[in-house]
Amino acid sequence: MTTIIGITLKGIFRDRVFQGIMVTACAFVLIPGLATLSMRQVTELSLTLTLSLISFIMLMLSVFLGGTSLWKDIERRYTFSVLGLPLSRQGYLLGRFGGTALFLLLVAVVLGIAAGAVVAFTASVHPPDRPIVWGTVALCILFDVLKYILLIAVAFLISTVSTSFFLPVFGTIATFLAGGVTQQVYEYIHSPASKNLSPIMKQLATGLYYLLPNFSAFDLKVNAIYGLPVPANGLFLTVAYFVVYVGLLLSFSAAIFSRREMR
Amino acid sequence: MIKTASVTLIGLILYGILILPFTTYLHNKPFVEKLGYVPSVPAFKTIAADQKELVAASLVLKVLIYFGGLVEKSESQLAIPPDYMSMSRLLHGAVKLDPYNMDAYYFAQSFLTWDVKQYKLANDLLDYGMKYRTWDWCLPFFAGFNSAFFLKDYAAAAGYYQRAGELSGSDLSKLLAGRYMQESGQTELAIGYLSAMVKGEHNPALKKNYQIRLTAFQEAHRIEVARDHYRESRGAIPAMIGQLVSGGFLSPPPRDPYGGEFYLEGDGKVATTSKYAFAKVKNKSLKNAGDVNERH
Amino acid sequence: MNVIDITGLCKQFTGKRMTKVDALKGIDLKIAQGEIFGFLGPNGAGKSTTIKCLMGLIRPTAGTAAIMGEQIGSVASRAKIGFLPENPAFYDYLTAEEYLRFVGKTFKMPEALLTRRADETLKQLELWDARKRPMRGYSKGMVQRVGLAQTMIHDPDLYILDEPMSGLDPIGRALVKDIILDLKKRGKSVFFSTHITDDVEKVCDRVGVIVKGQLEALDSVENIVRQGIEGYMVQTRLSRGNHEALGGFAVARTNETFIEYFVPVAGFNEFMALAGQHSVEVTLVETKRKDLESFFLEIVGKGK
Ligand SMILES: Nc1ncnc2c1ncn2[C@@H]1O[C@H](COP(=O)(O)OP(=O)(O)OP(=O)(O)O)[C@@H](O)[C@H]1O
Ligand SMILES: [Mg+2]
Repeated sequence: MTTIIGITLKGIFRDRVFQGIMVTACAFVLIPGLATLSMRQVTELSLTLTLSLISFIMLMLSVFLGGTSLWKDIERRYTFSVLGLPLSRQGYLLGRFGGTALFLLLVAVVLGIAAGAVVAFTASVHPPDRPIVWGTVALCILFDVLKYILLIAVAFLISTVSTSFFLPVFGTIATFLAGGVTQQVYEYIHSPASKNLSPIMKQLATGLYYLLPNFSAFDLKVNAIYGLPVPANGLFLTVAYFVVYVGLLLSFSAAIFSRREMR
Repeated sequence: MIKTASVTLIGLILYGILILPFTTYLHNKPFVEKLGYVPSVPAFKTIAADQKELVAASLVLKVLIYFGGLVEKSESQLAIPPDYMSMSRLLHGAVKLDPYNMDAYYFAQSFLTWDVKQYKLANDLLDYGMKYRTWDWCLPFFAGFNSAFFLKDYAAAAGYYQRAGELSGSDLSKLLAGRYMQESGQTELAIGYLSAMVKGEHNPALKKNYQIRLTAFQEAHRIEVARDHYRESRGAIPAMIGQLVSGGFLSPPPRDPYGGEFYLEGDGKVATTSKYAFAKVKNKSLKNAGDVNERH
Repeated sequence: MNVIDITGLCKQFTGKRMTKVDALKGIDLKIAQGEIFGFLGPNGAGKSTTIKCLMGLIRPTAGTAAIMGEQIGSVASRAKIGFLPENPAFYDYLTAEEYLRFVGKTFKMPEALLTRRADETLKQLELWDARKRPMRGYSKGMVQRVGLAQTMIHDPDLYILDEPMSGLDPIGRALVKDIILDLKKRGKSVFFSTHITDDVEKVCDRVGVIVKGQLEALDSVENIVRQGIEGYMVQTRLSRGNHEALGGFAVARTNETFIEYFVPVAGFNEFMALAGQHSVEVTLVETKRKDLESFFLEIVGKGK
């Protein structure tokens, strides 16, 4: 499995993904300038922009790396040679996943440091009303990483059943969007405003709520941007949710993938 | 080879012909067309996914850049009435997405009151913001000013100023002084408020806006002081500002930066024909501007 | 012990719109330790399907198979074999050297041995100069050579090769034949599929012919060659003896000095006796045998 992780990372780096990210990350340089457009929250705006840029890069990575990893191996017939080696399918899948997740973490660390530099610079020019809580910023990026790792696991699950490129990519994007609003939808259907909704719809929505990943818990952007306190037990629950949900996704993926015909 | 070269050349020429009218067209496009409406906040929330703060910030920035452009134009006497309705709608949408976004409250405060006279709407928005920005003294400071100056609700104003004072420390203690909390202190209250705004403002468009208004109030205050001197020495209120100038109480003569004429009302209150706003600026009713803001 | 043990292997593919293809219809096959086995068959006969089943890439619909006593599909069944897929493709962002090291690691080779074996195999397959280039830039034959190298790096006891010669130049083919013969000398087992009967005749101990998913023939190369004797070409001098007496035998060719008869195996003794009686001078006897190619063609023809 570690060898597969190594091969995966090597592949991502050799495909110049990292260089691509670094080019995108050049946008960081523009952020202090852009943030001065704000009237009352220059530093907050620069934090918003950096965190959003990091999120965006990670979303792209998880959709495209996560969604195409297995597809590419099957499409380019690498699976015949690699799965003929004494590797278990589960180990192979987990290695692929682990490598992709590790790369995401690496990117987040590098971008996080760059973001810190950018925000510290803006804050030194335009001191914010409230001091930046760096711990919360780091936590926000970390939970963003967790969220996108979960999304990678979703992409892998879809890849194990799909033979095409589009299904994993669009399926992952759809899951991302749906996972961001399940909480809102859930709250809506449990509010008096949804009186006129048919009970079947409500039940369907509730079912989806429990089935789909819930990404809203991972979103600490507001806390990071405005230095709001983060509840510790909420973090703990979120991490536990992450572990269980990713575990489930990966075990389903492994079960499906080990049954899949390589023909 | 020659064929491709000539096709490229023709393309370049066409581009050259087209690009100028095209950019002019886009430049002159009305604001609403440029931005579109915020169709519905829940829909926006869905599309914004985990980037609500970013979307909110971009909405605010759009409004801000639009407004900045208008202020520039009005300098060269090309006063286009700002579309306050859309601006308000966008800012309300922005705080729905990110209830912490200070720019939105701040900017809404800057035009909802003086220009649009939607004091109630402004204070509702500020109340909404206070639920989230619990540490911020600015919001109660604004709300207090609105209550005292515009709504003449001195009890509510005292409550807001109390809160602002607690949050900020000592800065605002002088604003809490009782003498502001009455009809006669209005001009000084406005000057105090506007001076604070001008000092804290980085955005050139808004700073200029505040500065003009501050100058107007400072002029009004000068007239008030002269009027009081006049009353002390002559025992009666002057009927016209001209009397103050000719009597040597007011020099140089007052000038309204909004282009209006100062005059004295029957009870001696200082007023201006410009109503502290540039001519041509339509004070369109904003009755529906807060529709996106379903109350919590 | 048998290194490969296949019993009743069936595979049915279900394509789009529920079309069914019976690719394997009950294959029984045992390969002994140290045997070089050639798996012959026309296109679409089921050779690759059999090999994919053995490697656990696809699951058989019925039947079982074991490799060195381990059920197929398990990691253990792949632990001691070198496998070359048909038209192989390898992570093309890696260099040949890196890929060999990766393969070696999955076989848990110790580091020092891995380095030595990687160098050896790269040299043996003439990839030494290209070893530091990504495989993206390799020609088809070079990729095939990498494929062979990665089967050999850990010196397994059993080789399963799907068309090892495809895409190779004549020098490469000769090299592969030499390699297989060398493996044979060292007591290794090789199971390989091919279309080329000549390769089989030169290196194999045993050959199986699969046609439309069924094993139509399974015999040692020696037997096939021996059974392939159809008769004899007997040349006699025209000027001597009474040729009328040999009228029962088919004349294959004549010229001014000789008559050549085709004599079936069963009639050889009778022919020679008759020739002796009628003082016909036999100048040359040549065995007439079918080669493996025609043997193969015949079996395939029968299946039709
Ligand atoms: N994935 C698949 N789906 C449906 N049918 C398949 C699939 N793979 C193979 N087949 C069918 O199974 C049969 C055997 O194919 P196989 O690839 O084993 O042939 P082969 O003997 O290797 O041929 P070749 O010499 O051309 O490599 C063929 O009829 C083929 O059409
Ligand atoms: Mg084949």
